[in-house]
Formats: sequence, C-alpha cells, structure tokens
Amino acid sequence: MSEVKTIREALAERILQCDGGMGSLLQAAGLKAGELPETWNILHPEVITGIHLDYLNAGCDIINTNTFGANGLKFNGITEYDLPEIVGAAFACAKEAVRKAGHGYIALDLGPTGKLLRPMGELAFEDCVAFYADVVRLGVENGADLIFIETMSDLYELKAAVLAAKENSDLPVFATVVFDAKGRLLTGGTACAAAALLEGMGVDALGVNCGLGPVQMKMVVQELLACSSLPVIVNPNAGLPRTEGNRTVYDIGPAEFADAMEELLEEGISVAGGCCGTTPEHMRLLHERIVGRAKGVISKKEMTIVTSYAIAQEITDDPVLIGERINPTGKKMLQQALRERDMDYVLNMALAEQRQGAHILDVNVGLPGIDEEALLVQTVEEIQSIVELPLEIDSSDYAALGAAMRIYNGKPLVNSVNGKKESMDAIFPLVKKYGGVVVALLLDEDGIPDTSDGRLAVARKILDEAAKYGIGQKDILFDCLCMTISSDERAALVTLETIRRIRAELGGKTVIGLSNVSFGLPSRPVINGAFSSMALATGLNAVIMNPGSAPMMQSYYSFRALAGLDRNCADYIRYIESAPKVPDPGGAGAPKVPDPGGASAPKVPDPGGASAPKVPDPRGADPAVQLMNAVEKGLKEQSVRLVKTLLEQQEAMAVINGSMIPALDHAGKAFEKGKMYLPQLLMCADAAKAAFGVIKEQMAGSGVTNMKKDRIILATVKGDIHDIGKNIVRVLLENYSYEVIDLGRDVPPEVIVETVLKEKVRMVGLSALMTTTVASMAETIAQLRAAAPDVKIAVGGAVLTKEYAEEIGADRYCADAMATVNFAQEVFGKSTKSELE
Amino acid sequence: MRTVRIEECCRYMGVRGEGDERTRALAESCLKELEDRATPRYVMRDFPLTVDEAEGLVDLGCFTVHSRDLARNLAGCTKVLLFGATLGEGPDLLIRRYGRVEVSRGLAMQACSAAMIEAYCDELCAGWRSEYASEGYGMRPRFSPGYGDFDLSVQTNICDVLKTGKTIGVTLTDSLLMMPSKSVTAVVGLFRAELSSGCVAGDAAGRCEGCAMERCPFRV
Repeated sequence: MSEVKTIREALAERILQCDGGMGSLLQAAGLKAGELPETWNILHPEVITGIHLDYLNAGCDIINTNTFGANGLKFNGITEYDLPEIVGAAFACAKEAVRKAGHGYIALDLGPTGKLLRPMGELAFEDCVAFYADVVRLGVENGADLIFIETMSDLYELKAAVLAAKENSDLPVFATVVFDAKGRLLTGGTACAAAALLEGMGVDALGVNCGLGPVQMKMVVQELLACSSLPVIVNPNAGLPRTEGNRTVYDIGPAEFADAMEELLEEGISVAGGCCGTTPEHMRLLHERIVGRAKGVISKKEMTIVTSYAIAQEITDDPVLIGERINPTGKKMLQQALRERDMDYVLNMALAEQRQGAHILDVNVGLPGIDEEALLVQTVEEIQSIVELPLEIDSSDYAALGAAMRIYNGKPLVNSVNGKKESMDAIFPLVKKYGGVVVALLLDEDGIPDTSDGRLAVARKILDEAAKYGIGQKDILFDCLCMTISSDERAALVTLETIRRIRAELGGKTVIGLSNVSFGLPSRPVINGAFSSMALATGLNAVIMNPGSAPMMQSYYSFRALAGLDRNCADYIRYIESAPKVPDPGGAGAPKVPDPGGASAPKVPDPGGASAPKVPDPRGADPAVQLMNAVEKGLKEQSVRLVKTLLEQQEAMAVINGSMIPALDHAGKAFEKGKMYLPQLLMCADAAKAAFGVIKEQMAGSGVTNMKKDRIILATVKGDIHDIGKNIVRVLLENYSYEVIDLGRDVPPEVIVETVLKEKVRMVGLSALMTTTVASMAETIAQLRAAAPDVKIAVGGAVLTKEYAEEIGADRYCADAMATVNFAQEVFGKSTKSELE
Repeated sequence: MRTVRIEECCRYMGVRGEGDERTRALAESCLKELEDRATPRYVMRDFPLTVDEAEGLVDLGCFTVHSRDLARNLAGCTKVLLFGATLGEGPDLLIRRYGRVEVSRGLAMQACSAAMIEAYCDELCAGWRSEYASEGYGMRPRFSPGYGDFDLSVQTNICDVLKTGKTIGVTLTDSLLMMPSKSVTAVVGLFRAELSSGCVAGDAAGRCEGCAMERCPFRV
C-alpha cells in the first residue's frame, strides 16, 4: 500500500475499509447522556485519538473525524465551544492518530442536522445547505482527504449536504443512508431513489450505514449493487442494541460480524466498515477478510431514472405518461391563477393528473412579465409538498430551471436542452451539478431537421457534448419532435422513423409531446390517439400528454395490453372500469372547471349525487333553493352541477346572494348552535368553495371585474408548523368573500408586520397549536401593536383560552372558525350582499 | 391497526355522539387511505427504574426527571419502558394535501391519523403487557411528556436515548413538536405483580389519571 495514492486512486484499485463506531465507544468511555460527543475533541482528545489509532491499527483505511453532530445548529456561538474549535480539534486528533499509525485517510464526517426539512419540518433547504457548507469549509481548511456524509434518512437533507460538499470543496464525497429492514428510507424513499440522486450529483461512492446489522442489510445491499454504477459502501451496526443494567450492548460479536460482512464482500461491495456498536476488534477481524480480496468490477447500469423523495420512476420499454396540464399556454384560468399566486388551483390540477394516471408531471409556469424563477421554485415546492410523483421541470429560462432543479427534492426530469451550443452550454452544467434526466430536443441552430437522418445527427452531437460533462446517455431522453401533418403529410412518419432509429442505432430513450401532430384538423383527439398508438408501437418510452384525454389514455392502456406489458390485462381492465362511460366528444377530457373534488381519491358517498334517498328530493323545487340545500349539506358534486344550471338562468351575483351566502349563513348558525359539527360545516365549506370556483370562472369569462374584497392576513406563528386549523379558517373566510393572504406556517413576527404594512391590511388572524409557541404569538402581537396599532388581531388554536388571549393583547379569542368569520364581520361591517367594484 | 374506532375519529373531529352518516363515511374513507400510507414504526428499550414519590423524582436509568405526576404514575414500579412510535410521513402528506384542497377531508385525516397512532400505541403496549406478564411484571398505563407536570422537554431526552432520528425517523422541532406529527414518545412502568396485588393497572381510564388538565374534553 502506498501512501501517495489519493483516495480516488485507492478506491479504484482495492477494497477500502472504514472505521467502526465512535459514539458507542465514547459512551463506554464515560460520555454522559445529553453530553455532546464532539466536545470530547477538546476535553478528552487523548480518548478520540486513541479510538482513531485503534481503528487504524486494526487495518482501517479511512477514519471519520468526530464531527457527526458538529454543525451550526448545535454549536452556535452561544455554546461553550464554537464550530471552528470543535472541527479543528477533531482534525488534530485524527491527524495525530494518522501520524502515529503511519497511514490513513481522514474523512470529514457529516451526520444529519437533526432537523427535518420543509415541507415536512421547519428547516429551509438553503439554510440546511449553509449549515453543511460551514463545516465543509472547515474540513477543507483542516486538510480532510474526503467528505463522508452518513446516517442520512432524508434524501432532501442528503442533497443539501452533497451540494454543500460540492460547492465548497473538490474533495471526494462518500455518502451513506439508513434503510429499514424492508429496504426503505425512514422518509419513504427506496434504495434505487437514493442511488439515482447520489449518482446524479456526482458522489464518488454511495451506500448504507447504521440502522441494521450486516445480516438484515443484505437485501438492501443487493438492491444498491443492482442499481448503482458507483462503488457501494456498507457500514452496519453490530446488530441491535439492548440494555444490560445501565449499559447498551449490541448483539453481534466481532467474529459473527466478520462472517456476515464476508458475504457482502462476496456480493461485490467496495468499501466496508462498521457503525454503532462495532469496535476495533470487529474491524480487525473484518480486515482479515478484506486483505488479499480482489476488488470486483462495477458494471455501468444503463437505467434512466427520475425520482421524487418517495418514488423512483424508471423509464423503460414500458412507456411512462408525463402529464402536460400544468402549462399556462392557452389556459386562461391557469394564467390568472399563476399571476395571483393561487397555488390551490395548480395543486388541484396536479392532483387531478395524478389521479388520472400520470407518472411524471410537467411543470411549466412561463408567462410574460412574471418572475419565472421565483414562481417556478414556489410551484415546484408546493406541488412536492402534497404530490409524491416525480416532476419534469420545464422552462426556457435557464435561471429559473437551475433554481428549480436546485430545490427539487429528488432527481428531476428537465425540459429541455437542444442541439444549439448556447442551450447545451447552459443546461449541461446544471444537469451535472444537480443531477437529472434531460429531455433533448432534436433541433439546433439550423432548425428542426425534416429527415430522421438530420435528427439523428443532432442526437449524436448532443450525446458527444453531454459526454464532455460526464453525462451519459442514460440521463438523456430524446424528444423526437412532432410537426403538424396538416402542413406536411410526412411529418408523423419522420417522427416515427426517428423514434425507431434512436432506439435501434443509438440505444437511446425517446419522448414526444404529440398533440401538435393534429394541429389544424377537426376532432384532434382522434388523430392524437391513433398517433400515440403508432408511436408507442414504434418504441416510444415516454409521452407528454393530457392524462384527462380519453383517446390518449385508451391508446396507452390498449397498447400496453397488446404489447404484453400488462399482466392479465389488469391495468387495462381497471382503467376501463373506472373511466367515464360516456364518450368524451370534447376530447380534452380535462375538466374546464376547476375540480377541487379531483383531489379526493376515494369519494365519500354523495347521497345527493346519483340517487338520493336521504336528501329531500328537490326536483321541481326552485333551483336556487336546490343549490342552497346542496351547499348547506356539503354535497360537492351536486353543488357544482346545480350552480352551473343556475348560472344559465341567473346573474352570478344573484346566485351568490340568493343561494350561496344564505347557505353558508344557515350552516354557520347551525354550527354555532351545536346542531352541526365541524366536519359537516367543513363539507359545506368545501361544497361552497367548489361552487364558487364555477362562479368565478363564469365571471372571468364574461369579463366581470373582481368582487371588492376585504383582506385578512392569516398565519401560524413562528415555531409552529401545524396549519390545519388555519386552513379551516381560511376556507370559511374565503367563502364569506374575504381575500385571505395566507402567510403559511412557522411565520416570523417580522414577516407578518411587514405584510400588514405593505398590504395595508386591517385584520390579522394568528394560530398556535402548542404551549411552546404561544410565546411567539405574544411576540408577534407586541410587534404588531408597535408597528400597526390599528390592526385588529384574532387568535385561535388548541392551547389558547379567552383569558390568555387577553393577556397577550389580542383583540379577540376565536374558539372556532365561525367565530373568526363573525369577528371579521364586526371589523369590516357585515354586508349581507356582495358588491361589485 | 384494524382496531381504530370510527367513533374515536369522529370525537377527534369535534363531533359529540357517534357522528352522522356522512361524517362516519368520511372517517372510514380516510382510514382506508391512511392504512395504505402509514408506515408504523417503533423503538423501545427497557431500563431499571427508581422512583421517589415523596420528592417527585424519577430516575429512568438513562436520565432523571422531576415530575410528581410521573412519580405517581410510576409508583411501585422497578422497571420502565421508554418508547417512541410513529406513523411516518405518509399521514402528514395527506393532512397537508387535503388541508389545502379539501379541508373537510384534511380535518378528517388529522383526526383519523391521531386516532390511528393512539391505536398503534395501544396495540404495542398490549403486546408488551403480555410479554412482561410472563416475566412476572404488571404494567402501568403509558405516560407521555406533556401529561400533567411531566415536562414536554423530556421528549428531547427520550428521543436522544432511543435515537429516534435514525431508528424511526422522528425528530423534534425547536418548539418540541415531533416530526412526523403523528408520533408519540412515552414511558411505561413495570411493577412486580406480587408487590401490588389487587392493582388494576393499565385500564384505559388510567391514562388520564395523572393529568392536571381537568377540563380536557378527552378526559375519560
């Protein structure tokens, strides 16, 4: 073994050995519960150095600095020691051990921050990157040989750590993740999703540590070996912990550990070591099994994979559907929603596409005159917070694309690069940095080639250029382009021929967005459906389409059944049974009406829906009364149907004042009297919201100006991240025609104050769930009183009482959502009729 | 967790009585969706226990707690189980999703998953009860930080000892909220059955006995 070799060279040549547990040895040496292990770098450096040295003497190649929990969250300047001291001392110990042993690579060890990232938790992605970046820079200053990110159970946090490592050093990066016995991350992701993300971001080796013993790890190790083209690291625990007296002991001894690890070495892992409970003796026996063992050859896996935090979607010969609906081109309502930052509209679209069977959702928010970068980031974050499908980030604005790829949780599909130099120069660096599969449009400076020869030439050019960045063909999805047949009758044939040849000659994967083919023709869905079948039969791997279009979905499911891709034709049968029975002459299929109901996967029986035994039969009754009854009873689908009918007979304002508001008032009163409970009130609110959606669209279509609305700010206070109560209040206020500025959850007092002043808002509603966060509610009120003495403040939440609300200076304690509506009516004056501006 | 009762879900939704037909249907439908998405996990370890009831001092073997209510709950016990349990992130995703687009279902998801984590803890405790009974131990009802004067901040110690971050994926926010939100940490006392003959430990009613929140609507 030669010490001059870099760790990358060593990794390429032989099996490397990591060290074993640190924390468990420190506990054995007297580390107390609650004591930060990293302080021992300063307090007991001889112990830390001793452990490192024992591992090096046992034969380990890599020692991890005692910096697992060393980050700005735990060492923040208020603590006794600051971060540079802790990390500096850790390296001093490691270097001393390496000097004494005469060999060893020093890895800067990075563990999880201990905080969950948004939207699950409270830590912002960029803050997380910054915390890791601080430590990485210290590692570089102190002469680390590599960066070892370990024990990660959240892929989003892992992405933040890898980004920090890559942006602040050129050091090799090893990364390992904790899996459960079923091979899932604690946050739900699969081994394959983790590997795809890490490979995409260009780490040097990836694997698994902690959580399990070497025996239980076997399955997940095999899975990683099957999907990773990188060296695989395995650092298990010494089995499971148990208590003996006051001591924690692990149940797998050194010999048993070495036996189990030998099986994993046989499987082809490249880096082996230990985690909790393993000792220098475990490592010594493991070393005996590693010495003299030849390193296996790691094959390149040509899998095209895009991921979300939960799902790894492989693009194979079994084609995938990319939902195209979230794209404002030609969609007035979506344009308006995006301009108004009405994310609920977008979220409903995303959920509808998911329900309709899309595997990946395209997200494009390009509109003239908007800040596309901010909007795309917001849209991607919001969709990812409630939909688990992988996304295709779609923008012609490079900055927007890069910003969205950065915060995306997973390995995205990216739309798109093309053969123009300018495009490749902009896009490939982003793909290299953030990872991703990129859609490559087969066009260049000379336009769209009108032959398959020309398109293949562009494809080859793109492949060559991508290779310069280390981006392989597996991460490129060729868009074979589809021109309209009404202007060139051979256009579709060229597309099909290109698909065939990309598959056959380049071994590449293909995609098309095919609705363009029928432009200018009548009954476009007929042509689209037929072309879809032809393209799929030619070998198309992915199709960008409207999953609400019956002809397209019929084509897709029939193709899969006919091509032997649908076992027992089960998917086809399920589709046919669940699809609408009535042919859809409009073809587009996607409801023109916003479909908030689309979100609810399993439907709650809507007794008014089909046959309504329980609801008084409203046939023959006044349609306005029928609508009122349906809304009040919370029958969403019936309300939507009735409001459409009624709008044919009455003006929108008459419908609002004659049916909607009376229904809401009636339900609100019933709730206050205890005749109706919260779920019923909310079903009514949801029905009203759906009906208002129809009314709003009708008004927009007929050019009626927006209703004049009083505005209210709602926020869950800083530190509190539960927001169902706030959301309930919001829906009710909106139904009462108030405009709600929803600042979300965990909102700092300053942001609330700033928004009140900027938007000149007269009423604020604050929510807090926990005793621990009521203090930040008090702080918010104090700041509001100082900056905006006239603003009226309502508070609510599980732990509040009327007395406490008074004590902290709120104007009103609202025990429930209706109380907030009542208070708003006091503040703004109750208007029983909505007015037009 | 087929033991989640619809009535319990309705109660968490603020319904008094058994709930009307549509509310019950809503709860049933939510439970079905939750069952597909919840990934229940737990971590449990036992420790020797010393209780000084007079001083309200409890030595849990791995750390010490001052709490009269906890001391009362654990009086006579010699061993304690520390556990953490969670339904994982799936329920939070559904609560977030429907809280945004269909708030009645959001409320129902919140309520049903709350009932579900309680049912899961009941199921776990029932398992331990019979397991430890075979060793001659009786079991007290579980007691969580936040009950009575058992300070919420003790969650931090329990999470540290059980390493909940990497064992079951549960972390704490600065405000001591557990993430995922449908998670529980608790201690369960074990006593030598012969020492407390006639003690009916662990009946459902017992769970509220030490709690100071006398006006709590859920108090049994």
